[in-house]
Amino acid sequence: MDIRAQVSMVFHLDKCIGCHTCSIACKNIWTDRPGAEYMWWNNVETKPGTGFPHRWEDQERYKGGWKLNGSKSLQLKSQSKLSGLLKLFYNPNQPGLEDYYEPWTYEYENLFDAPEGDDQPTARPVSQITGEEMKIEAGPNWDDDLSGSPVYAANDVNYDGLTPEERQQLFEIQRVAFMYLPRICNHCANPSCVASCPSGALYKRGEDGIVLINQDVCRGWRACVSACPYKKIYYNWVTGKSEKCILCYPRLETGQAPACFHSCVGRIRYLGVLLYDADRIETAMKTADPLLVEAQRDVICDPNDENVIASARANGISDEFLEAARKSPVYKYVVKWKLALPLHIEYRTMPMLFYVPPLLPVMGKDGDQPYDHADQTLFSSLDKARLSIKYMARLFSAGNEAVVTAALRKLMAVRYYKRMQDVGDVDDDNVRRIMREAGTTPEEAEEIYSLTAIPTVHKRYVLPPLQREEAIGSLCDVQDCKGSCGYIKQAGAGRK
Amino acid sequence: MLELFLFVGLPYAATIVCIVGTVRRFKYDRYGITTLSSQFLEGKKMLWGSAPWHIGILTVFLGHFVAFLVPGVWQRLMAIPSLLTIAETLGMAASLICLVGLIVLIFRRATTARLQKTTKLADFIVALLLLGQIALGLMIAGGFRWGASWSTGTLAPYIWSLITLGPDISVIRDMPVIIQAHIVGAWLIVFIFPFTRLIHMITVPIHYLMRSPQKVVWTNPRRNASAVVARADQNSRRHFIKASLGLSAAGLLLSVGVLDKLGRFFQMPGLHHDEEADLLETRLRRLQLTAEEKQLELERLRSNEIYVSKLSDLNGSTGKYFIDYAMRPGLAFRSEDGWPMLLSAKCTHLGCTVGNQVDANGKILCPCHVSYFDVKTGLPNEGAPAKAPLDRIAWIVRDEQGAEIATESSRGSRTGRIDPQMAEYYSLYIVRSLSAEA
Repeated sequence: MDIRAQVSMVFHLDKCIGCHTCSIACKNIWTDRPGAEYMWWNNVETKPGTGFPHRWEDQERYKGGWKLNGSKSLQLKSQSKLSGLLKLFYNPNQPGLEDYYEPWTYEYENLFDAPEGDDQPTARPVSQITGEEMKIEAGPNWDDDLSGSPVYAANDVNYDGLTPEERQQLFEIQRVAFMYLPRICNHCANPSCVASCPSGALYKRGEDGIVLINQDVCRGWRACVSACPYKKIYYNWVTGKSEKCILCYPRLETGQAPACFHSCVGRIRYLGVLLYDADRIETAMKTADPLLVEAQRDVICDPNDENVIASARANGISDEFLEAARKSPVYKYVVKWKLALPLHIEYRTMPMLFYVPPLLPVMGKDGDQPYDHADQTLFSSLDKARLSIKYMARLFSAGNEAVVTAALRKLMAVRYYKRMQDVGDVDDDNVRRIMREAGTTPEEAEEIYSLTAIPTVHKRYVLPPLQREEAIGSLCDVQDCKGSCGYIKQAGAGRK
Repeated sequence: MLELFLFVGLPYAATIVCIVGTVRRFKYDRYGITTLSSQFLEGKKMLWGSAPWHIGILTVFLGHFVAFLVPGVWQRLMAIPSLLTIAETLGMAASLICLVGLIVLIFRRATTARLQKTTKLADFIVALLLLGQIALGLMIAGGFRWGASWSTGTLAPYIWSLITLGPDISVIRDMPVIIQAHIVGAWLIVFIFPFTRLIHMITVPIHYLMRSPQKVVWTNPRRNASAVVARADQNSRRHFIKASLGLSAAGLLLSVGVLDKLGRFFQMPGLHHDEEADLLETRLRRLQLTAEEKQLELERLRSNEIYVSKLSDLNGSTGKYFIDYAMRPGLAFRSEDGWPMLLSAKCTHLGCTVGNQVDANGKILCPCHVSYFDVKTGLPNEGAPAKAPLDRIAWIVRDEQGAEIATESSRGSRTGRIDPQMAEYYSLYIVRSLSAEA
């Protein structure tokens, strides 16, 4: 047993309104720099949709994540060790600028400086790379709210398992349904980016599981950009180094939630500590696709278990951290309630960001009623879901529909339970039966309701003290890094 | 003066700048060390530029490296005609490939707007230098039909003379200008190395082949403290394992030796009977020789005179060997006047046996360290390793009846007279002591 701690996350998709505030908060703090203009460490996608970068889920093209060699060993999809060295010269799977978009700004000065003339002055778009005028043809959220679109949504990789009829119904304008998928780095427990880095610049922090790139060691070989199946590592074309979401660790270390969490309008985000057993990761990630979600849950340890606590202490994890792990909202959503599911676990990187699948695009389809509780089965809307369960399973459970259905049923049961209490138009016996079928109890339903609908900020973000004062030597000098995000070289920066 | 600057001053300056600059960069500007890849901005032409360029230049570089650092090995390899053909073809192909790659890369950079934004002056200088260097290299390879190992005898010694701090530019001075330019170009590339993107060469991540897939870093000092203890434990365990492995290996070797001896002792020598017969024969021969020697020794102890030869059998050109009273070899000659001459054949230098053939100068040769001794006097030649003359040996000549005819003492004093006509009837003996001396 080798217990490590992970500051992990839950995004409750039912609450996401797709406002991109998280993306902007992140952009303003971290990636508003030359070379980083096109990076969105946090982005929000509309699903079904192509995503950012374009069709990032197409691993036949980008070769991200791990593949199973029979059932014996895990191997990087992008490279073996030897071919990794050959790909230093040219990486065939690396996305290019055209797979993201050419970043642009507008000639705002023109609005003020233009000479007097017959026309109103305009601010034309100019490329942030070449500085020349350009035609904007793509952007980071170009398919925003365009789920019915045959141009964007039709390219969604997750349709592959769907029948032509099921696909067709997704494009009928009256039946269009979509959801938002905010994405940051998953800070995986089995990160393929770390395994692919030839220089050894990428590493996972043992105490909090944050995956980082040592900018002094990175040589810009770009293997990580291909190896990350979520395409959450970006190459900075100015500095020649790769960059990624750092889970705002400087904020975490000072007791603040990451910027995207802090700014979340829908309060969809939860942050908490998970304890996991590093010795069991490999075995878990070698199981067959349908069992992967359950295998990952098994790797996550009960923070109240005596053995787990002892092993965590042996690894130097502090009591404050263990206390945070016991209060973790993430543990409740992922392990206790089994509501939150990993995104694309079939990439086998063991992502530590979990999503509560959204109920709204599934329900709310029966006639004028949001959901038909006159129906005896009550769960019928799941079978006739607008956004098919098969599609959801492709996203959140490696195709295992039972896992997604179980989570959605429990979410529905909680709603019926609260409706029974607050509106009173649902039959008591029916509600009790449906809760039984969903495998939940009134106590649990109350708990889920309270953490989902009316949590305080301290319940959503149970931040462990990262004890920066103990590890201060590992960071660059505060005065040196001031105003630089730690990335841009300034006079004296980086000198120790 | 210019030559000294280009071929001695520049190399040393370039090397020092290269080393100091690289170390400085790693110390103060590690953030700036990168490949500066532009595949992200332009990925299509990149494939046809970067891949051939790198593969070609690495092959060419390897060839130069081997030829300069181990010229002997290279020369021996290139002496094999098939290998020479392969090396020449490979070298030529590699240079052409990397030339094409480089041209594609330069063209790509010149024609892509995005790339121009990331191109610096240093990149231009690097590209031009490399282009010139490859063109010169190809001109040398194509223009001078010298084979693949000419540089081992010319440029390799030059480079080694620089390395060993005794610069010798004699071989360079008379080289064609193209080759001189190629050499200067190489030093210029070394010179600019730390200030350009070339520095990415030394960050080639070979260690990637060895490392484990995941990398976890604990910044928490508490964990580090326990890890240090664990590592120390692990280290001492490792030392213990190593030590016990070493000891058991040594013990194994020792016991194998001992057991082998013991086994042989109990099993008796397992020799074939033919081998045993040969062995026995050799032993017997040795015993016989010893017996003969002892026989001779006994004879010399018992008798006062030992027969050497009939006087008529001796001559002046080939000496006859005999064993004297001290069991040392001696040589017997007969001079022109018919008198015998007896000399010790043990060289006075280190005791080799002196040869018995008299040369035109009347000398015999000790073959070990080339000392010539005069047959008549026994004196060594001037400058010979041997300083002392060969000893004279006392002798006596008797006729058929045993009557004493003539004698000579070890100091050379003679008695009696010898009639050369009667030599057939005379016998020569060595004597332990002459009555005259006694």
